Amino acid sequence: MFDRDIWQEIFNTLKTNKLRTFLTGFSVGWAIFILVMLLASVNGMQNGFVSQFNDDATNSIFVRPGTTSKAYGGFEAGRRIQLKNEDLEYIKQSFPNDIEYISARYYANATARYKSETGSYSVHATHPDHQAIEKTLVVAGRYINEADVINKAKVAVIGRKVAEDLFKNEDPLGKFVEFNGLPFRVIGVFTDDGDDNAERRVYAPVSTYQRIYGNTNDINIIALTYNPTYDLTKALEFSERLEILMKRRHKIDPDDQAGLYVWNYAEAFDNISSFTAVLKGIGIGVGFLILIAGIVGIGNIMVFTIKERTKEIGVRKALGARPRQIVNLVLLESVFITAISGFVGLLFAWVILAAVGPMIQTPAFSNPSVNLSTVVTATIILIIAGVLAGLLPAMKAANVKPIVALSDK
Amino acid sequence: MIEIKDLHKSYKMGSNSLHVLKGINFKVEEGELVAIMGSSGSGKSTLLNILGMLDSADSGEYTLDGVPIKNLSETKAAQYRNKFLGFIFQSFNLINYKSALENVALPLYYQKVPRKERQEKAMKYLERVGLKPWADHLPSELSGGQKQRVAIARAMAGEPKVLLADEPTGALDSKTSYEVMDLIQKINDDGNTILVVTHEEDIAHMCKRIVHLKDGVIVEDKKIEQVRAEQYV
Repeated sequence: MFDRDIWQEIFNTLKTNKLRTFLTGFSVGWAIFILVMLLASVNGMQNGFVSQFNDDATNSIFVRPGTTSKAYGGFEAGRRIQLKNEDLEYIKQSFPNDIEYISARYYANATARYKSETGSYSVHATHPDHQAIEKTLVVAGRYINEADVINKAKVAVIGRKVAEDLFKNEDPLGKFVEFNGLPFRVIGVFTDDGDDNAERRVYAPVSTYQRIYGNTNDINIIALTYNPTYDLTKALEFSERLEILMKRRHKIDPDDQAGLYVWNYAEAFDNISSFTAVLKGIGIGVGFLILIAGIVGIGNIMVFTIKERTKEIGVRKALGARPRQIVNLVLLESVFITAISGFVGLLFAWVILAAVGPMIQTPAFSNPSVNLSTVVTATIILIIAGVLAGLLPAMKAANVKPIVALSDK
Repeated sequence: MIEIKDLHKSYKMGSNSLHVLKGINFKVEEGELVAIMGSSGSGKSTLLNILGMLDSADSGEYTLDGVPIKNLSETKAAQYRNKFLGFIFQSFNLINYKSALENVALPLYYQKVPRKERQEKAMKYLERVGLKPWADHLPSELSGGQKQRVAIARAMAGEPKVLLADEPTGALDSKTSYEVMDLIQKINDDGNTILVVTHEEDIAHMCKRIVHLKDGVIVEDKKIEQVRAEQYV
């Protein structure tokens, strides 16, 4: 294979037929170019979707109460469901092995004031676990801890935008900010990958806000993450169990879709995964169809080359070339054209993606790119394609009968 | 060296069968220079093809240097051709993108001789046919006579047992023809066995034996007084 003579012969045939070689190679290079661009686009789409979702932990489940739409268990339809602290404890105790993190969320709005600066922000009153569920990134200070919840401490973790609005260039840590007239000590500042709105948010201990708002133990939402070792089936099965249990607890008809929402991220994520998988499949399919046209092109040209070189092959056979050596010669030439032109297409696509890809940052489409596995796959495909393209012509060449090839009378 | 017994060969031409060789018996000793003569259609090319293992006989025996040549696979035939035979063609059949030296080295390549040794050997044979200064020339830069001499060097490079020449002077003018025959005679003088297929009387008389073929049978097989080509050069 690394025989100098074979390569010399290959280069000679290619050199004497430059235009033909170029045109043939172009079809394969183009096919690979399109294949890579399609895969990169699907990749970009996937990146876009993922970046929209990775704001939260991908194994999270939200339990949100609603208003019943069906009469059940002696209650009329239209009953508002209210979650309480006890619900959270109940879930915790019912599913000790299924739950990773769990936190309540109590919503409030606050008009905040620090010195002369004011602003209106939404407050999420939570448990410490909420940080992991929402993937909140604390850049300064700390998040809410157990002690804050137990002591009903008036502390707040504020978003980066809130800190900018109220404190300007001051360091907010340890300062007191008034929420609806009550002083809260700032214990941390956070950022959020999600969007700017998330950074106009304030976290506070759930117990503190429950006391401020009339000593209730109401909560708006229970957010939790399930055991991260669960696969999709197990995750869905768990959220189903959770829904059944919570509906029973609140005497909601099991078929009542409005009474209680259990929203599982895995489900949405799975939908997107299968969506992008289908897109990827279509991309690969279309790419392959184009590649087949390229392969046929190369095969076609190889047949032509063999026809032209029939006499030469006859001479070689008369001089003692074995059929295998002839096959190798043709196959190698075919693989060579295919691989080189394919790589040019690959390189071309890669350069374009490297130059333009990072600039594309829209919500649904970001950083289209190819990874190493795509490149490796494409290489293998190219070599197989080359062999396929050369196989028939090579067999034809090996079957050249020297007497027929040499009869010049 | 060559022994043929009752060789038959026929070709199918549609529904008809064309009986080309009708029982050839023929023996060539080592060191002979044999001319095979006959008009076209006499079967001389078919005989040469069978001798050259480019074609197979329907029946009969063929022994080459004590080895029975029968039912060869393509690969085996290629091996035997490479080992036993050197071919010289009417139209030279040099590979046009390879230099004279590379053309001569080709049989050695198929014998898997290492590159360096191959080139040394090829150069030696080019020198023998008087073309050492033309070693790097492409066939297109050589005259007809020079091309045939390169082809002869190529045929000899693999050090075969028998040289088979199919109308070696068919494409050359008479002066060049004699030059080529002179070379062939000299190679024969060194003890090489050579078979020359020709339809030219003067060329045939430069061999040591003439075998006449007509309608697929040998009609005449005689030893002759060799005419040296040297005197015409």
